[in-house]
Amino acid sequence: MNRSMFSLATVALALGATVAASTLDARSLRIEVNGLVCAFCADGITRAFKKDAATAEVFVSLENKLVAVGLKDGQDIADATATKLLTDAGYTVVGIQRTDATVAAIKAEVAGE
Amino acid sequence: MPRLLATGLLALVAVAIATPSLARPISYAGGHMLMLEHEPDVDRFSYAYSPSFRWSVSAGGVRASDLARSSELELGYVRASRLLHRWNLPAAQANAFAWGGLGQGRTALGNGLARHAGLQFDYETRRVYTSLVSELHEGDGWSHRFDTAAIGWAPYAHDIDRVATWIVLKGMRTTNAIDDDMKPAAVLRFFTTRWWLEVGADADGRPLANVMINL
Repeated sequence: MNRSMFSLATVALALGATVAASTLDARSLRIEVNGLVCAFCADGITRAFKKDAATAEVFVSLENKLVAVGLKDGQDIADATATKLLTDAGYTVVGIQRTDATVAAIKAEVAGE
Repeated sequence: MPRLLATGLLALVAVAIATPSLARPISYAGGHMLMLEHEPDVDRFSYAYSPSFRWSVSAGGVRASDLARSSELELGYVRASRLLHRWNLPAAQANAFAWGGLGQGRTALGNGLARHAGLQFDYETRRVYTSLVSELHEGDGWSHRFDTAAIGWAPYAHDIDRVATWIVLKGMRTTNAIDDDMKPAAVLRFFTTRWWLEVGADADGRPLANVMINL
């Protein structure tokens, strides 16, 4: 293998490791949801996610149209799974982000807006 | 049977089975909901289970008496409700529901089978609530239709960690063989993620109260 290919392979491996590490290190899911207008109805979201073994905690913000799910160390909830949990709760998922912020940090962030 | 008694009992049935709090007939998936309600001359209860957010089954009962307490009505029913469609918008939600059920009534006229079907449309944001409900009840020799419109306003936008407060005005039209009547009412509505409380009065100043609990 010549030097340029070796460098390219090294960079590719490093990028792959970084992406893998980011996924495994994600502490929370930050999910934008449509239809969040009623607390009495939204209780089902928390109950649904707490049934998933990877869930540490759940935060719902009607004002920010947000569901934040804290993940247990080393665990994850696939986008498809999170989408199904919210869809089965009667809501529509707009987008899902993975973040290394804790749910407490997300709460503080939305409280400070 | 005396005509006056039959008329009074028909009216009693109308009052008893009148559409209550206009809360949604379906809870979240796996949800159990208990509802208790008191209106002038009428007490209701129901217990609903929602296997999914799209449908529920419930059982309930009604006891009603007229002002002179000279006659009483007791109804028991089972009902299935279905969410026909939901619109989830960025800052609002709208729903269309349908339901139907069967019941058994006990009155001075005797015991008999009763059936009912209804439709509800609602639209809400965190500050405004509107709904339209139409329900038809039929039994042996009688039929009642109820059309109810409600509009609510929240003085502040609630969130999960706060008690929601609403002011709701309702107008209900009752139509049957002997009556075509419109009744207004006003209630204060409070709720969190687990409980829902309404207190208010009708146009005659008689108290109303409704409690719902997510179990």
